[in-house]
Amino acid sequence: MTVHGFHGRLLHVDLDSGRHQWREIGADRLRAFVGGIGLGTSLLYDFAPPGVEPLAPENPLVFASAPLAGTGLTTTAKYAVVTKSPLTGFIADSLSSSFFALALKAVGVDALVVTGRAPEPLCLFVGDGGVELRDARHLWGKSAADTENAVRAELEGAAVRVAAVGPAGENLVRFATISNEGRHAGRGGVGAVMGSKNLKAIALCGGKQVAVADPEGVAAAAASLRRRSLGTHTAKYREVGTVANLAVFDRLGALPARNFQQPTFDAADELSGESLTETSFSRRNGCASCTIRCERLFRASSGGEQRMEYETLFALGPLCGLEDREAVLEAARLCDAYGLDSISTGGTLAWAMECAERGLLPEAGGLRFGAAEAVLDAIPAIAERRGVGDLLAEGSRRAALALGRGSLDWAMQVKGLELPGYEPRSLKTMALGLAVSPRGACHNRSGAYEADFSGKVDRLDSAPPRGALVAASEDFGAALDSLIVCKFLRNCFQDFYAEAADLLAKVTGWDYSAAELRLAAERIHTLKRCFNEREGWRPEDDGLPPRVLTESLAAGVAQGTRLTRDELREMLRDYYQARGWREDGRVSEAKRKALGLPAKQAVSKLHPREATAPEIVIPAKAGIQAG
Amino acid sequence: MTGERDRVGSAIILAGGKSSRMGRPKAMLSFGEEPLVKLVIRGLATLFPDIVVVAAPGQELPELPVTLVRDEVAYQGPVGGLCYGLRECRSAAAFVTSCDVPFLSLPLVSHLAARLPGHDVVVPHWEGRLQPLHAVYRRSVLPLLERQLERGELRPVFLFDKVRTLKLEEDEIRALDPDGWSFFNMNTPDDYECALARWRAATDGAARPAAGRCEVELFGVARLRARTSRVSVELPESATLAHVWSALARKLPVLVGPVLTEAADGLTAGHVCNLNGRDFVRDGGRRVAPGDRVLLMSSDAGG
Ligand code: SF4
Repeated sequence: MTVHGFHGRLLHVDLDSGRHQWREIGADRLRAFVGGIGLGTSLLYDFAPPGVEPLAPENPLVFASAPLAGTGLTTTAKYAVVTKSPLTGFIADSLSSSFFALALKAVGVDALVVTGRAPEPLCLFVGDGGVELRDARHLWGKSAADTENAVRAELEGAAVRVAAVGPAGENLVRFATISNEGRHAGRGGVGAVMGSKNLKAIALCGGKQVAVADPEGVAAAAASLRRRSLGTHTAKYREVGTVANLAVFDRLGALPARNFQQPTFDAADELSGESLTETSFSRRNGCASCTIRCERLFRASSGGEQRMEYETLFALGPLCGLEDREAVLEAARLCDAYGLDSISTGGTLAWAMECAERGLLPEAGGLRFGAAEAVLDAIPAIAERRGVGDLLAEGSRRAALALGRGSLDWAMQVKGLELPGYEPRSLKTMALGLAVSPRGACHNRSGAYEADFSGKVDRLDSAPPRGALVAASEDFGAALDSLIVCKFLRNCFQDFYAEAADLLAKVTGWDYSAAELRLAAERIHTLKRCFNEREGWRPEDDGLPPRVLTESLAAGVAQGTRLTRDELREMLRDYYQARGWREDGRVSEAKRKALGLPAKQAVSKLHPREATAPEIVIPAKAGIQAG
Repeated sequence: MTGERDRVGSAIILAGGKSSRMGRPKAMLSFGEEPLVKLVIRGLATLFPDIVVVAAPGQELPELPVTLVRDEVAYQGPVGGLCYGLRECRSAAAFVTSCDVPFLSLPLVSHLAARLPGHDVVVPHWEGRLQPLHAVYRRSVLPLLERQLERGELRPVFLFDKVRTLKLEEDEIRALDPDGWSFFNMNTPDDYECALARWRAATDGAARPAAGRCEVELFGVARLRARTSRVSVELPESATLAHVWSALARKLPVLVGPVLTEAADGLTAGHVCNLNGRDFVRDGGRRVAPGDRVLLMSSDAGG
């Protein structure tokens, strides 16, 4: 029987042997893990040898499509990239979007799994005619955008869509991105994994459409969602963009500045989304098949235009103490061009700045809070691993472990992933969300901050039921990210699980209920935890940086607010209980069974923090100045 | 004593503006027994002996005890009206206003006139915006305005850089008109309804006395739509958040629809208020004390 909404197969390309294989994906797996992040997690679990070193050839790099991709439903042109993170040693599950996502579906697979390492830089091309490994030596050193253009020109197809790594991915910067059409699978260093495989780019071009089970039903749902996507719920994203967060967070004492030493920033007005819009707005943009179109491009004084999101603005501005918006726009441009996660870039630079100011890092290349020139010099140095950039390319946790001298205290990360721009001390539901997220300090795979903004809890207080709120937000995220629907559409549903399950039923022809979707969401989230456990997770990995747990907020409306270790411990206990896990945060056998997850596997003895990378020969670089 | 050369003896009322969104001529909107234009004239006549009304060609108006001039060409924007008015007025300077202003504060108008010495224009700067249609102009700026008109620069603000302009700051204005009702003008039938309600309450003597004020801080969509980041609103005794919303709707009608519900009794989906940077609230019954800061923002903090 044909499954609607899926192709029912994956493509496995092994770069060691240069061979590829089309493999069936069973309907059971699709039904249990839906697609996107869920399908990707499930494939990672099976393809990754337990304890695999993230930059070793055996670490699988999974690109997963989703049942709603290609249906034309608003905000669904998305794909997931899932692998073991070289930054955290745990799961890295990132999303990206637009035409590449549609192309992935159109080449006739639900997932593309890449393993191995090519002897020379390659571009993987999947077309209707088959699979081709093309020489990419001439592309080495190019930015992702230039690579995209070059590959599309070489393949002479307007319909060819390309995802690529920039120099940061080639040079195994542990927070390198994979990007397509100016968007990035940003967090966790998926670009370093792709670079470690000597895989410069993936080009896709296909015409395999997937039929949906109930075309009229899907069309009606699409029309309804499109209409709702244009209501006041999404006005922020349509009229201002995510940059709107900056002024609000500053006012609420929730804008981390100067490596989380301050929860407000003097130049917040100058950097705010509102003032950027009023003075430098250039253009609004969006992913393919999206009606919300939240992307904003701003004019830089250099004449160009630069995309800006809140997280990039926060990380390269307040977090590093940069007040000059032109410098922030330029820093963002550099991160995009080299293929760096702007949050981890800002977080790691801010760590270096604090270390430099404390005299712990003498060779910091002039890095000090607010030193714009030094930041603009450091970003290319990180991407090219030059000078202090080589240390910073490891991310704040590994850099701190290498530096020692107590500098780990100033690394604002969880599980090795740098914190996003949500101050945990004044957003306490979010604090718990950040502490327990499988991929480290993450604001995307769940949205625990939503509770803090709802008025249903006191954001400055950690009283229960924080555990249940975080768990619900994670499951909601897992469902959205697996279907895949953009999180910015999330508040347009009246009854999300019922509507989404109905949609999935109309696309796939399955008799799929809200309860089944809820269960799938819990299963997906729990499998991420099971993966982490297998890779060496320990209870202390669910935590927050010492600064957050020892220093009270120094300014703003929440001045004096603290988050104590006891408070966090209580919230964790509440969370594990809400999840039905063991008291120490491990997933019990009973829970695994109930969710149909694999039994516990031998746990990697090596904790990711202690695992050292096998020596990897950084491939010869073209087009980058060695230094 | 103010000498003849600084005397503001005239008022110019621009009545010819477009009323497209109102659907009928604003000058003729009735307040009690009278059309609005008469109400405005009656007030200004207590301050200025010479009153000039500038109307559009063919515009219907009641009998008025004033100098009536007609725009030579159909409405050319405020600069056109200003030129015609200044040409006709009989003193060295004039207070200029549009005709759709039911809540002019005469103390504020006479204060503007008193601030003229040493300047060519006195214009209020209220909540981040200049108010060229509630300002005093010297007749001597007429040639400059006429040149502007020829060049098609139809906004009075172009003049302000060229002459000695005093921008009256908010603090000075608040002393005489704490909530800036002077600058309330009406563009839509809703604005008219809201003005009428306030006017009736005031004239009936039934208006609840203002017990205090609170500041509303606008973020995101609200800030961009309103073109200001904060406004101050008047609160009655025992005020609630609902009072803040309706006061806000009167002051910033552009927020009705996108941010405030049509009835101005709540927030649209996707918005939330926060009191003093602390608690998030959507409940209109929540008490608001004088001096409170009400933050108005998107409830979706995704980034
Ligand atoms: S809302 Fe923004 S991120 Fe989401 S699909 Fe649309 S453009 Fe892309």
